[in-house]
Amino acid sequence: MSGSEIIDYAVLIPLMPFLAFPVILFLGRLFNGTPTWVKNVKEGGIIALTVMGASLVLALLVIKEHMNKVGAADVFTWFESSWWNSETGAITTKVFGFGIYIDHLTVMLLFVAAFLCFLINIFSIGYMNTDPINDNRNHRFYAEFVLFCSGMLGMVLADSFLWLFIFWELMGLCSYLLIGFYYERPSAAYAAKKAFLTTRVGDVFLVIGLVMLWNLFEPLSGSQGALSYAVVFDPENIAKVNSGDLQLALGMMFIGAVGKSAQFPLHVWLPDAMEGPTPVSALIHAATMVNAGLYIVARMFPFFIEAELGALSTLAIAIAIIGGITAVMAALIAFVQMDLKKVLAYSTMSQLAYIFTGLGSALWLANNGYDDLAAFAMGASLFHLFNHAMAKGMLFMASGSVIHEMHHAHHEVAHHGHDDEHHDDHHDDHFDAQSMENMGGLASRMPITATAMFVGSMSIIGIPLIGGFWSKEGIIASAWKVALKEPIFLLPAMLILIGAGMTGFYMSRMWFMTFAGKPKTEVAEHVHEQTPWIPVPLVVLTFMTLSAIVLAGMHAGKWLGNFKSGHYTSFIDGIGYEMEHVFLNPDPFLLVLTYVAIGLSLVLGPSFAMALYGGSLDGDQKAKPWMQWAISLSARVNKNSKFDNTAWANSSLATSLHKRLHFDDVYDAAMLKIVVGFAKLSAIFDTKFIDGVIKTIESTSQEASRRVRALTTGSARDYIMMTALGTLVIFILLWGVA
Amino acid sequence: MLIGGLLIILAGLMAFFPSMTDSDTTVDWISLPLVGFPIIVSCILLAFASQETRARKEVIAVPIRLFTLVASLIPLAISTALFFDWLILVDWDLMYNEYALEKEYVWIESIGASWHVGMDGLSFPMVWLTTFLVPITIITTWNEKDGATYHPLLLMMGGALIGVFVALDLFLFYVFWELTLIPMFFLILKWGGKDRRYAAQKFFIYTFCASVIMLLGLITLYFLQPEGSGSQYGTVTGRTFDMTVLFSNATAYNMGDSVFLGKDMQNILFAMLMIGFLVKLPAVPFHTWLPDAHVQAPTGGSMLLAGVMLKMGAYGMLRIPIAIFPDAVVYYQDVIMAIGLISLVWGSIVCLGQTNLKKMVAYSSVSHMGVILLGIASMQPIGYAAALFMMFAHGIISPMLFAVCGAFKHHYHSMEIGAMRGMAKWSPYLAVYMMFAWMASLGLPLLAGFVAELMVMIAFWPEYGWWILLPGAVLAITAAYYLWSMQRTIFEGGDEGQPPESLNGETPPDITLPENIGMIILAIFTVIFGIFPFIALGMMDQWTVAFFEGVFNLGGI
Repeated sequence: MSGSEIIDYAVLIPLMPFLAFPVILFLGRLFNGTPTWVKNVKEGGIIALTVMGASLVLALLVIKEHMNKVGAADVFTWFESSWWNSETGAITTKVFGFGIYIDHLTVMLLFVAAFLCFLINIFSIGYMNTDPINDNRNHRFYAEFVLFCSGMLGMVLADSFLWLFIFWELMGLCSYLLIGFYYERPSAAYAAKKAFLTTRVGDVFLVIGLVMLWNLFEPLSGSQGALSYAVVFDPENIAKVNSGDLQLALGMMFIGAVGKSAQFPLHVWLPDAMEGPTPVSALIHAATMVNAGLYIVARMFPFFIEAELGALSTLAIAIAIIGGITAVMAALIAFVQMDLKKVLAYSTMSQLAYIFTGLGSALWLANNGYDDLAAFAMGASLFHLFNHAMAKGMLFMASGSVIHEMHHAHHEVAHHGHDDEHHDDHHDDHFDAQSMENMGGLASRMPITATAMFVGSMSIIGIPLIGGFWSKEGIIASAWKVALKEPIFLLPAMLILIGAGMTGFYMSRMWFMTFAGKPKTEVAEHVHEQTPWIPVPLVVLTFMTLSAIVLAGMHAGKWLGNFKSGHYTSFIDGIGYEMEHVFLNPDPFLLVLTYVAIGLSLVLGPSFAMALYGGSLDGDQKAKPWMQWAISLSARVNKNSKFDNTAWANSSLATSLHKRLHFDDVYDAAMLKIVVGFAKLSAIFDTKFIDGVIKTIESTSQEASRRVRALTTGSARDYIMMTALGTLVIFILLWGVA
Repeated sequence: MLIGGLLIILAGLMAFFPSMTDSDTTVDWISLPLVGFPIIVSCILLAFASQETRARKEVIAVPIRLFTLVASLIPLAISTALFFDWLILVDWDLMYNEYALEKEYVWIESIGASWHVGMDGLSFPMVWLTTFLVPITIITTWNEKDGATYHPLLLMMGGALIGVFVALDLFLFYVFWELTLIPMFFLILKWGGKDRRYAAQKFFIYTFCASVIMLLGLITLYFLQPEGSGSQYGTVTGRTFDMTVLFSNATAYNMGDSVFLGKDMQNILFAMLMIGFLVKLPAVPFHTWLPDAHVQAPTGGSMLLAGVMLKMGAYGMLRIPIAIFPDAVVYYQDVIMAIGLISLVWGSIVCLGQTNLKKMVAYSSVSHMGVILLGIASMQPIGYAAALFMMFAHGIISPMLFAVCGAFKHHYHSMEIGAMRGMAKWSPYLAVYMMFAWMASLGLPLLAGFVAELMVMIAFWPEYGWWILLPGAVLAITAAYYLWSMQRTIFEGGDEGQPPESLNGETPPDITLPENIGMIILAIFTVIFGIFPFIALGMMDQWTVAFFEGVFNLGGI
């Protein structure tokens, strides 16, 4: 490493926010409540924004340099420890170091993380600082926010699985702290605990997987730490390890990913995590942290390429099946959710599951020698990750905007009603500003938000030409390609195809319930878009999502999938290629598949949603033209094909969907009844039995000593008697021995 | 009685005070500055305080406290300076059975006991930890009642503990080993909770019984060792208590296929010594003295008890039986592993069933000490380094846990989990420290506790494979009981405000300034050693490598 290259400074990207954490906390403690702190520094928001801006700029410089170049840099040696080979007697020192590693995958996630951290920081200043409930505790929010950003950026940049895990846990901590931000609410305290514990279960397996991986590569690693990418991704090393053991280790790591990315069966924490402030949901529980699980699975790609053919297929299939199941299950539960943020939470779960299925296909293809197809599937999955992060971050921010303005409007309405009594009555009543049942007809009242929501929903649904469409088609196509070769893959392939239609339904349902139709409450009539800062990220991300075609045209998918070198053709050619590839695929099977998927997601799902929830706005209201057509269409569909769905709503399936398919209840019961019950019994056993034995010994010896003491009568006659007896015994003994 | 006993000890020290053998002119940085000074100062202060009436004691408590604090800072300054080579250049990269700052004085020539002290990579971190914890403990429990005798006792405790770690003579080691019991006994007896009399007795008798078994083992070892002559061997018995001589003899005999003292004798002696150390550690099923002692002990006592005293057990294992009887270690490897796993799992499960905050923390100590046994049984340098680092990290984290418990008790007059909710609102500082300490204890990365757990698991896998699921489960259970207790103390109830009934309607207070200072220092060091573990691990790694070269890597194992 000669001179100063940009990668040598890359460590500052996570380090700056990390150092900002104590600074904001300390300053907040010091200046809390002073006018400068509240007005000019936004209770720390400006400090956080500056730091995140600096990180973003540096990240962009790094990305520019390393678009097409893999780079690595050592930062520091965390510690050293030694390993003894008891057969040869050799003792080797192992270095556990921290360094920076940058390749295509890093570049992409670095951009997602740095960019969204910055945008959501802007949003937070608008959202958090205008809500009186947050007064005097916003510095805590910003401090934990930057700590989280540091964790995410660090995880992406780290050069070993060990440091990936360390930053992974750091994010888990921040997630816990931020979900429990409103610590006084029992529901928030419960949700925070649940999130930490559920992901912790996954993390345990991740640690075990890492330990197995460490031990697999230990003989090959020399003095390097056996978890650094340089060691584990070395094709020669991978060829030498036992692929059965490797599959087990990777499988364990995958369970960790399942926990972090909220997949079946460790998904229960994510919906509850919506207890946190909305910026937190947008950043941590939609756009960045939940991608960590995907990231670690994507990182495994080289193993699958280099390992024996077919040796790791089982794991790839398992990944895809978990993805398929989650995609449909989460979509089903999203059907009945009334809480705006919960719909989005289940949608996140479902979309992440798509990416898992895509990754599973990519890994299967890689492991079975179809390198080109694997690169395509990988690219599609990662591109979907990108699109989903952008769209879902935006959707959450938009939902935050809606909730925020609903709060304001509710405040206004309540204030008008009883002018003299109410001052700050956030908790006096039970108006639910997050419930879609209280909304409706907001399209004209919140044009920017409605547009953002509109574009975001279309991207998630996969409406042709917008955002997620490009990547989702790629995932579905890849899964089916595998299914043609491996019958068991039909299950996930079928599930995600069905899921596409379901996505179309629940996302449209959400949008129409919120923005179309007549306002369902008085509050919804008084909503205005008025908070500063909030629209900025919405507008930026709307354009970002719409411009996915540009990235697709730049062969983003192909570039992402290719781990060895990037491909660039001219931009126009690229678009042409993509268009042709998607809409006029020469392979008839894929061509049909594409149109089936489009039919499901574009026609079937949304029309059901329109039939059930569509409706025109109030007479005097007019939405922006690019949304008005959808609203009018929905009104027409609603009128022409009204159908009664009470039978479905009362069905036992709907009930159990409301109960989230009983997972939460069962887990809670298992935890409380079995684990805690057993622990309580153990505690009793410990004091009564283990300590009881000790106490018995003690009391017995006391009893014995009391008996012995009783011999000490003080009477000379007794003593003479004893002496005589003793002498007799000694004589008998002596006689016996002699 | 207390004062009389202390004076007798002091007099004994004076009478037997060793005389230097050779014309070594280098300064002795251990005997007087680190060991003698705290003990002598505390004896003088105690003697002084005992002459005063109760009313006067209140008055002189403040200057005595201050004086104790200053006195406790001197060993800290010295040990820190020794680490950074500010006083003299110390070479910590030692071979096995080599010691830095080694000093030997003739003491009881007839039986071959000498005042022999020195430090290596095993003992120095513990010595530094002790010198560091004593002032922290004094600060944190600044307002403890009857400070005129309380704080000097803490100081004496520190001196005795350092004595254990620096002793290179079995006789000396045992003297200090038992000497640590005395201040702790009085701390529990005089400043403890409701059942302090029972707890103090149990603590004393339990650990003393174990020590007696250990003593028997040591004496047997003493008599069985090969006779010799020379300055280190006793003039009457022809044997020696000197550890360095024992170690080099043992190494010489263990070379190749031969076994020092024979296989059976090794196994018996190893078991006897280990029992003494396992009770101190404590390992299940010999752990029941610990919760009682902790719950009844005052905060300062608990901090030192958990912070350093438990580590005496682990230190003793590594120092004596494992070094002398490597074949027995291999013989008992699975037993050690089983005891370690049982401690780990049982400790954590019982934690989950506790409703008393301090008892929960006490059992978590049992659980964490199991990690040390796993490290030892792994038979890997990385496992031994992990055990060492666990001793050190737990030595910083557990005092913080107990400081938090102490503050909780002090301010809310209750130890029940759930007695106080919404601490984040009423006592934000205490809430932050509690969360920090809990997180550190459950092994959050970048805090000191994580490094050791990771290393132990890495070392564990090749020997014991899928049994790793048990420590894995413990990671989750540990998180469960800590989070569960946080949910019921820090969170919830801020708006309704549920101050505990024991406060009788007063507003719940936040912690006091001394508590704040003590805890923030502990927190800072937890972070420092979490992010830069190499500061301590460098020395530990060198020690483990030397230890494996000198003890296990002799062939024949």
